[in-house]
Amino acid sequence: MNVSIVAVGPAAPARRVAVADIAAGWGESAGRGHVAVCDGDEDALTLAWTAARRALAAADLDGDDVDGLWWGTAHPPFLQGPNLAYLAAALGMREGIEGALLAGARTSGMEALFVAWDAVAAGSVDRALVVASDVANAGLGTADERQVGAGAVALVLRLGDDGPAVLTRRSSLTRPHLDRYRGPGDAAVREAYDGRLHREEVFLPALKALGGALAAGGEVPADGLRWSLPDPDGRLGRLLGKALGAGEVASAGVRTALGDAGAAAGLLGLAACLDAPGEVVALDQGSGRAVGVAVSVRSAVPGAADVAALGDGLRDTTYAEVLRARGRLVADTDPIDMAVPPGGAGFVRGNVELLGLHGAACADCGTISTPPSVHPTCIGCGGDNLAEVGLERTGTIHTFVVNATMPAPFEAPLPLLVVDLDDGARLMVQGTAATVGLGIGDRVELVLRRYAVERGASIYGHKAAPPSTVVLDRVADAKTGAHP
Amino acid sequence: MSWNRVAVVGAGLLPFGELFDRSYEQLASGAFQAALGAVDHGMAKEDIDAIIVSTQRGTLWGQEGIGGNTIPSAIGLNGVACTRIENACPSGADAFRIGAMAVASGVHDVVLVIGVEKMRDKSSREGLLARAASGHPIYNRGETAPVLFAPFATRHMHEFGTTREMLGAVAVKNHHNGSLDPYAHFQDGLSMERYLGGVTVCDPLTLFDCCPQTDGAAAVLLASPERAADYTDKPVWVAGFGVATDHPSLHEKQSFVELAATVGAAKRAYTMAGIGPGDIDMAEVHDCFTITEILDIEDLGFFDKGKGGLAALNGETTLDGRLPINTSGGLLAKGHPIGATGIAQLTECWWQLRGEAQARQVEMRNGFALQHNVGGRGSGVSVVNILTNRP
Repeated sequence: MNVSIVAVGPAAPARRVAVADIAAGWGESAGRGHVAVCDGDEDALTLAWTAARRALAAADLDGDDVDGLWWGTAHPPFLQGPNLAYLAAALGMREGIEGALLAGARTSGMEALFVAWDAVAAGSVDRALVVASDVANAGLGTADERQVGAGAVALVLRLGDDGPAVLTRRSSLTRPHLDRYRGPGDAAVREAYDGRLHREEVFLPALKALGGALAAGGEVPADGLRWSLPDPDGRLGRLLGKALGAGEVASAGVRTALGDAGAAAGLLGLAACLDAPGEVVALDQGSGRAVGVAVSVRSAVPGAADVAALGDGLRDTTYAEVLRARGRLVADTDPIDMAVPPGGAGFVRGNVELLGLHGAACADCGTISTPPSVHPTCIGCGGDNLAEVGLERTGTIHTFVVNATMPAPFEAPLPLLVVDLDDGARLMVQGTAATVGLGIGDRVELVLRRYAVERGASIYGHKAAPPSTVVLDRVADAKTGAHP
Repeated sequence: MSWNRVAVVGAGLLPFGELFDRSYEQLASGAFQAALGAVDHGMAKEDIDAIIVSTQRGTLWGQEGIGGNTIPSAIGLNGVACTRIENACPSGADAFRIGAMAVASGVHDVVLVIGVEKMRDKSSREGLLARAASGHPIYNRGETAPVLFAPFATRHMHEFGTTREMLGAVAVKNHHNGSLDPYAHFQDGLSMERYLGGVTVCDPLTLFDCCPQTDGAAAVLLASPERAADYTDKPVWVAGFGVATDHPSLHEKQSFVELAATVGAAKRAYTMAGIGPGDIDMAEVHDCFTITEILDIEDLGFFDKGKGGLAALNGETTLDGRLPINTSGGLLAKGHPIGATGIAQLTECWWQLRGEAQARQVEMRNGFALQHNVGGRGSGVSVVNILTNRP
């Protein structure tokens, strides 16, 4: 039985840096356009979370409505560690979910879709969440540094061929070719050894064969299909399209907006093809694999239009800020360690309530105390008739400060905001960089962000951010029942 | 506790500052000698039955597990009973209260209360600023000390129209008072122009909104009424005190224009003393930041809620104003060596009540002085002590 895509959710960092600014950092004047760059508190996990939240909202589902989570990324925050578990907890998923992290390859995102597809088709899960995310990590001063971006996308799958889009065919080629790779100890992904060698012997041959076969398997000729094609260097995508006789390359817009999103590029491009009826073929290639999928779109998939809404972002980021955010420009001062070690009992006890954003609601007076583990009694009435609840993620700034004086690893300016959530809970959290300039009474939403990296471990919690119209509109629609 | 059960018969401190050249033990010994030397008829140190020591944070000078037993040996009183009190920024004020209760109970006749704090043995970065990484790893992360009060400034400005100039009036006044206090860390005074040009520390607070990091020690000697007569003809009496707590974290606060712990502590102290805020002649209040003093003088009942900034701007709290506040220079100019702060404030009250405050002397019409601290991660505890020179 076929498997349907019932909703998608795209995500990207808000920041964009001009390619010309990167080039200028190396004394060159070449380069056009912008690429997406993470803030220092964003990574492949926070982008994955944002995309997944949007896909679930588009499907009108909560995290615990989904039975499996398959996440593909080339840059998991832990090379070995609780990557998938952190993401699942932050999404409010059940402990009994199926799932896996697929990592270590450019094609990990597309491969996550393949595995989830099989799990749904086999009946292992009823509903699956597929997430692909990646963050720029090219070598300093390389040509790739001016091409790579960051982004994420999530898809909700379920059994049946009655969804707005149906997965119809897939194919892959596995060839032992070394192109872009990252070895032990490498800080960044290395460029292809020789551009022409990569183009003539690796990229084009594999994708022409794969794309041709996938197109031939359907009833629509290549020039009538909507295509998602990889474009790692800003030129290969166009060449490949020509070679395939492709009609519309619907992935070109998101590639221009974000740069090459690495392991997320294949499914982001696919998502860009799901906003209108038609037959779609999405391809990707890298790390010794060429992968592709054919999808039949009957009606616009909820959330697909949001790919175009990822937009132009904030364009005032400097190259120095980019390097600092990527951890490539690091102050030579001894950082202050947090009082609670990342692997200590405080986090073992508290990570579910932290990642899942839980409070303790008082059945007697209605006050919500946060977090539950340090509030055995209610801060409102002192009673102990408490139930753990998930907090609302939207609210209003009650008061705030912007801290300008902190030791490393903190970076100023650091906004700290007291937020009154829409369920009545009051929280004090850090604000994202974009909250500088907001004031009392302004609306914010809580988003998963990286608070620190200590002893090699990323520490996650929620920060206040300016509200995303994409998410807020969905929440409002879901509450009024207006969303289909 | 009824009136006049506990007398303050001696008080003294060392000049506050960055005392890099002196150890914790040397500071303690110096403050003890200063208090002992201030006893009118003299006191034999063997008269002291017990010591209450206030040190808030030994980790600031490398002593994780500091206890009360550090002090007796250092000040030449080895063997005497000694207990350490830690209660955040009101540690010194609370040590005084506990010492007063020890005398009032009849268990001890003469008690030394001593506060000592080394704040500058470690760099700022590894000292107070390091608290940005302490506490709850997410909900407290980034909270340096100004973060605990700046949100109140933001909200006070929003609700009551409090201005930078009003905050500045507090700083200018306290630095002026500090210029008259030989014990103050800063004695150079401060112009409004220089205040307004201060760099941002934690918006909306700037450099001169913040107290410095200061080393210091202060001590007072308490005695029962029977023994007090041996030491002085001019005793100062403990009229009342109060302690109150509030939820410890900022997000648990009901209000960001009031410190509930201060309101509660003041109410208890006034009730115990049988007086009201209108009876107070001068007060030493917790001005770790300018906004804190504005909150204090409202929460202690001296000015209506929302009017504290205006009162400062209008000069109502200067040495010759309606109610002089922080005649010593306050934490802003005199300094804030945490464990010593409350006891140094009480020493200023003692001098004012005895007419010994020299250039800072204010008129003591009713004979009541009030001392106040508030602190903890989110102003979770406050102590108020009221002293009187009334027989």
